[in-house]
Amino acid sequence: MKRYLFVISRSPYRSSHAMEQLEAAMVAAVFDGQVSVLFRDEGVWNLQENQSGEASQQKTLSKVLAALSSYEIEDLYACHDSLVTRQVQMDNALTVKTLSLAEQSQLIAASDAVVTGQS
Amino acid sequence: MKYALAVHGAPYATQAAVHALSFAEAVLDQGHTIERIFFFHEGVYQGLNGQIPPQDTFNQNLLERWQALTERNVELALCIASAIKRGVLDDAEQTRYEQDHPTLAPGFELVGLGQLVAAINSADRYLEFPA
Repeated sequence: MKRYLFVISRSPYRSSHAMEQLEAAMVAAVFDGQVSVLFRDEGVWNLQENQSGEASQQKTLSKVLAALSSYEIEDLYACHDSLVTRQVQMDNALTVKTLSLAEQSQLIAASDAVVTGQS
Repeated sequence: MKYALAVHGAPYATQAAVHALSFAEAVLDQGHTIERIFFFHEGVYQGLNGQIPPQDTFNQNLLERWQALTERNVELALCIASAIKRGVLDDAEQTRYEQDHPTLAPGFELVGLGQLVAAINSADRYLEFPA
Protein backbone atom coordinates (compact mmCIF):
# COMPACT_ATOMS: atom_id res chain seq x y z
CA MET A 1 0.00 0.00 0.00
CA LYS A 2 1.43 3.34 -1.03
CA ARG A 3 1.36 6.48 1.07
CA TYR A 4 0.04 9.41 -0.92
CA LEU A 5 0.35 13.05 0.02
CA PHE A 6 -1.83 15.51 -1.88
CA VAL A 7 -0.67 19.11 -1.49
CA ILE A 8 -3.24 21.87 -1.91
CA SER A 9 -1.46 25.19 -2.29
CA ARG A 10 -3.96 27.41 -4.14
CA SER A 11 -6.97 29.30 -2.86
CA PRO A 12 -10.45 27.87 -3.52
CA TYR A 13 -12.85 29.13 -6.23
CA ARG A 14 -10.30 30.89 -8.45
CA SER A 15 -9.28 27.61 -10.12
CA SER A 16 -10.22 23.95 -10.03
CA HIS A 17 -6.93 23.08 -8.28
CA ALA A 18 -8.34 22.14 -4.86
CA MET A 19 -11.37 20.29 -6.20
CA GLU A 20 -9.32 18.28 -8.70
CA GLN A 21 -6.72 17.45 -6.06
CA LEU A 22 -9.48 16.15 -3.80
CA GLU A 23 -11.00 14.10 -6.62
CA ALA A 24 -7.62 12.48 -7.23
CA ALA A 25 -7.19 11.92 -3.48
CA MET A 26 -10.54 10.13 -3.33
CA VAL A 27 -9.55 7.88 -6.25
CA ALA A 28 -6.26 7.05 -4.50
CA ALA A 29 -8.20 6.18 -1.34
CA VAL A 30 -10.58 3.94 -3.31
CA PHE A 31 -7.47 2.16 -4.66
CA ASP A 32 -6.48 1.40 -1.04
CA GLY A 33 -3.83 4.11 -0.84
CA GLN A 34 -3.07 5.65 2.52
CA VAL A 35 -3.97 9.26 1.79
CA SER A 36 -2.95 12.49 3.53
CA VAL A 37 -3.80 16.02 2.43
CA LEU A 38 -1.61 19.03 3.24
CA PHE A 39 -2.87 22.60 2.92
CA ARG A 40 -0.23 25.26 2.61
CA ASP A 41 0.40 28.69 1.11
CA GLU A 42 -2.85 30.09 -0.36
CA GLY A 43 -4.31 26.58 -0.05
CA VAL A 44 -5.11 27.20 3.62
CA TRP A 45 -8.05 29.37 2.49
CA ASN A 46 -9.84 26.11 1.69
CA LEU A 47 -10.16 25.63 5.45
CA GLN A 48 -11.78 29.02 6.15
CA GLU A 49 -15.12 28.95 7.96
CA ASN A 50 -18.39 30.28 6.51
CA GLN A 51 -17.66 29.48 2.87
CA SER A 52 -20.33 29.65 0.19
CA GLY A 53 -19.40 28.09 -3.14
CA GLU A 54 -22.93 28.68 -4.40
CA ALA A 55 -22.17 32.38 -4.73
CA SER A 56 -19.90 31.48 -7.66
CA GLN A 57 -21.76 28.36 -8.84
CA GLN A 58 -19.25 25.96 -7.35
CA LYS A 59 -19.23 23.25 -4.71
CA THR A 60 -18.41 24.56 -1.25
CA LEU A 61 -14.88 23.29 -0.60
CA SER A 62 -15.14 23.12 3.19
CA LYS A 63 -18.16 20.81 2.84
CA VAL A 64 -16.27 18.55 0.44
CA LEU A 65 -13.42 18.45 2.97
CA ALA A 66 -15.79 17.52 5.78
CA ALA A 67 -17.01 14.57 3.66
CA LEU A 68 -13.52 13.15 3.06
CA SER A 69 -13.76 10.94 6.15
CA SER A 70 -16.38 8.84 4.34
CA TYR A 71 -13.58 7.99 1.87
CA GLU A 72 -11.36 7.03 4.80
CA ILE A 73 -9.26 10.14 4.30
CA GLU A 74 -8.75 11.25 7.88
CA ASP A 75 -5.28 12.78 7.80
CA LEU A 76 -5.69 16.48 7.02
CA TYR A 77 -2.74 18.77 7.73
CA ALA A 78 -2.18 22.50 7.43
CA CYS A 79 0.94 24.62 7.47
CA HIS A 80 0.98 26.56 10.74
CA ASP A 81 2.84 29.54 9.30
CA SER A 82 0.49 29.82 6.29
CA LEU A 83 -2.56 29.86 8.61
CA VAL A 84 -1.10 32.47 10.95
CA THR A 85 0.14 34.78 8.18
CA ARG A 86 -3.33 34.90 6.61
CA GLN A 87 -5.30 34.84 9.88
CA VAL A 88 -7.49 32.04 8.55
CA GLN A 89 -10.34 31.08 10.88
CA MET A 90 -10.64 27.34 10.39
CA ASP A 91 -14.07 25.74 9.91
CA ASN A 92 -14.72 23.89 13.16
CA ALA A 93 -16.39 20.99 11.31
CA LEU A 94 -12.90 20.03 10.13
CA THR A 95 -10.29 18.07 12.03
CA VAL A 96 -6.95 19.40 10.83
CA LYS A 97 -3.54 19.05 12.43
CA THR A 98 -1.26 22.04 12.05
CA LEU A 99 2.37 21.34 11.21
CA SER A 100 5.60 23.29 11.44
CA LEU A 101 7.85 23.45 8.39
CA ALA A 102 10.06 20.73 9.86
CA GLU A 103 7.02 18.48 10.42
CA GLN A 104 5.88 19.08 6.82
CA SER A 105 9.31 18.06 5.64
CA GLN A 106 8.98 14.80 7.62
CA LEU A 107 5.50 14.20 6.17
CA ILE A 108 6.80 14.63 2.62
CA ALA A 109 9.79 12.37 3.32
CA ALA A 110 7.47 9.67 4.71
CA SER A 111 5.26 9.67 1.58
CA ASP A 112 5.77 7.40 -1.44
CA ALA A 113 4.10 9.82 -3.86
CA VAL A 114 3.59 13.56 -3.47
CA VAL A 115 0.91 14.94 -5.78
CA THR A 116 0.93 18.71 -6.20
CA GLY A 117 -1.54 19.12 -9.07
CA GLN A 118 -1.87 22.04 -11.42
CA SER A 119 -0.95 25.59 -10.49
CA MET B 1 13.71 1.13 -12.18
CA LYS B 2 10.10 1.63 -13.19
CA TYR B 3 8.81 5.19 -13.47
CA ALA B 4 5.37 6.80 -13.62
CA LEU B 5 5.17 10.39 -14.89
CA ALA B 6 2.45 13.03 -14.88
CA VAL B 7 2.36 16.14 -17.06
CA HIS B 8 0.18 19.09 -16.05
CA GLY B 9 1.18 21.85 -18.49
CA ALA B 10 -0.03 22.68 -21.99
CA PRO B 11 2.34 22.48 -25.00
CA TYR B 12 4.35 25.61 -25.89
CA ALA B 13 2.86 27.37 -22.84
CA THR B 14 4.96 25.88 -20.06
CA GLN B 15 8.16 23.86 -19.87
CA ALA B 16 6.25 20.82 -18.56
CA ALA B 17 6.45 18.92 -21.87
CA VAL B 18 10.08 19.72 -22.63
CA HIS B 19 11.18 18.71 -19.14
CA ALA B 20 9.06 15.55 -19.12
CA LEU B 21 10.16 14.50 -22.61
CA SER B 22 13.85 15.06 -21.89
CA PHE B 23 13.52 13.14 -18.64
CA ALA B 24 11.58 10.29 -20.25
CA GLU B 25 14.04 9.95 -23.13
CA ALA B 26 16.96 9.97 -20.69
CA VAL B 27 15.55 7.29 -18.37
CA LEU B 28 14.72 5.03 -21.33
CA ASP B 29 18.24 5.55 -22.72
CA GLN B 30 19.59 4.44 -19.33
CA GLY B 31 17.64 1.18 -19.52
CA HIS B 32 14.81 2.03 -17.14
CA THR B 33 11.13 1.59 -17.98
CA ILE B 34 8.18 3.98 -17.90
CA GLU B 35 4.92 2.46 -16.82
CA ARG B 36 2.75 5.26 -18.13
CA ILE B 37 2.76 9.01 -18.77
CA PHE B 38 -0.42 10.51 -17.42
CA PHE B 39 -1.62 13.86 -18.80
CA PHE B 40 -3.78 15.79 -16.39
CA HIS B 41 -5.40 19.24 -16.26
CA GLU B 42 -4.03 21.51 -19.04
CA GLY B 43 -1.56 18.71 -19.80
CA VAL B 44 -4.23 16.96 -21.90
CA TYR B 45 -3.58 19.47 -24.69
CA GLN B 46 -0.34 17.54 -25.31
CA GLY B 47 -2.57 14.95 -26.97
CA LEU B 48 -4.47 17.38 -29.19
CA ASN B 49 -4.14 16.48 -32.87
CA GLY B 50 -3.14 19.05 -35.50
CA GLN B 51 -0.54 21.01 -33.50
CA ILE B 52 1.65 23.15 -35.76
CA PRO B 53 4.83 23.92 -33.83
CA PRO B 54 6.26 27.44 -34.11
CA GLN B 55 9.12 27.74 -36.59
CA ASP B 56 11.84 29.09 -34.37
CA THR B 57 15.42 28.34 -33.47
CA PHE B 58 14.63 25.13 -31.67
CA ASN B 59 11.95 23.66 -33.95
CA GLN B 60 10.53 21.63 -31.12
CA ASN B 61 7.91 19.20 -32.38
CA LEU B 62 6.48 18.05 -29.08
CA LEU B 63 3.77 15.84 -30.57
CA GLU B 64 6.31 13.84 -32.61
CA ARG B 65 8.51 13.41 -29.57
CA TRP B 66 5.59 12.08 -27.51
CA GLN B 67 4.56 9.73 -30.29
CA ALA B 68 8.12 8.42 -30.59
CA LEU B 69 7.86 7.26 -26.98
CA THR B 70 5.04 4.87 -27.85
CA GLU B 71 7.53 2.96 -30.02
CA ARG B 72 9.51 2.43 -26.82
CA ASN B 73 6.48 0.88 -25.08
CA VAL B 74 5.42 3.99 -23.18
CA GLU B 75 1.69 4.47 -22.72
CA LEU B 76 0.43 8.03 -23.27
CA ALA B 77 -2.72 8.36 -21.18
CA LEU B 78 -4.94 11.43 -20.96
CA CYS B 79 -7.32 11.94 -18.03
CA ILE B 80 -10.67 11.50 -19.75
CA ALA B 81 -12.49 14.05 -17.56
CA SER B 82 -9.81 16.71 -18.14
CA ALA B 83 -9.67 15.90 -21.88
CA ILE B 84 -13.29 15.85 -22.96
CA LYS B 85 -14.16 19.10 -21.22
CA ARG B 86 -11.35 20.71 -23.23
CA GLY B 87 -12.49 19.15 -26.51
CA VAL B 88 -9.85 16.45 -26.78
CA LEU B 89 -12.02 13.55 -27.99
CA ASP B 90 -11.25 10.05 -29.20
CA ASP B 91 -13.55 8.24 -31.63
CA ALA B 92 -15.77 6.86 -28.87
CA GLU B 93 -16.27 10.24 -27.14
CA GLN B 94 -16.77 12.02 -30.47
CA THR B 95 -19.58 9.59 -31.27
CA ARG B 96 -21.03 9.67 -27.76
CA TYR B 97 -21.25 13.48 -27.70
CA GLU B 98 -22.14 13.75 -31.40
CA GLN B 99 -19.21 15.97 -32.33
CA ASP B 100 -17.97 16.40 -35.91
CA HIS B 101 -14.45 15.06 -35.57
CA PRO B 102 -12.24 13.21 -33.12
CA THR B 103 -9.41 15.49 -31.95
CA LEU B 104 -7.09 13.08 -30.16
CA ALA B 105 -3.65 12.62 -31.73
CA PRO B 106 -2.53 9.09 -32.72
CA GLY B 107 -0.61 7.32 -29.97
CA PHE B 108 -2.61 8.79 -27.09
CA GLU B 109 -5.59 7.31 -25.27
CA LEU B 110 -8.25 8.57 -22.88
CA VAL B 111 -8.35 6.79 -19.51
CA GLY B 112 -9.83 7.25 -16.03
CA LEU B 113 -8.07 8.84 -13.08
CA GLY B 114 -7.69 5.37 -11.61
CA GLN B 115 -4.99 4.72 -14.19
CA LEU B 116 -2.85 7.44 -12.60
CA VAL B 117 -3.14 5.75 -9.22
CA ALA B 118 -2.53 2.31 -10.75
CA ALA B 119 0.64 3.61 -12.44
CA ILE B 120 1.93 5.15 -9.19
CA ASN B 121 1.13 1.94 -7.32
CA SER B 122 3.18 -0.24 -9.62
CA ALA B 123 6.07 2.19 -10.21
CA ASP B 124 9.20 2.64 -8.13
CA ARG B 125 9.20 6.39 -8.66
CA TYR B 126 6.50 8.95 -9.50
CA LEU B 127 7.44 12.32 -10.97
CA GLU B 128 5.21 15.27 -11.75
CA PHE B 129 5.88 17.97 -14.32
CA PRO B 130 3.66 20.85 -13.22
CA ALA B 131 2.26 23.69 -15.31
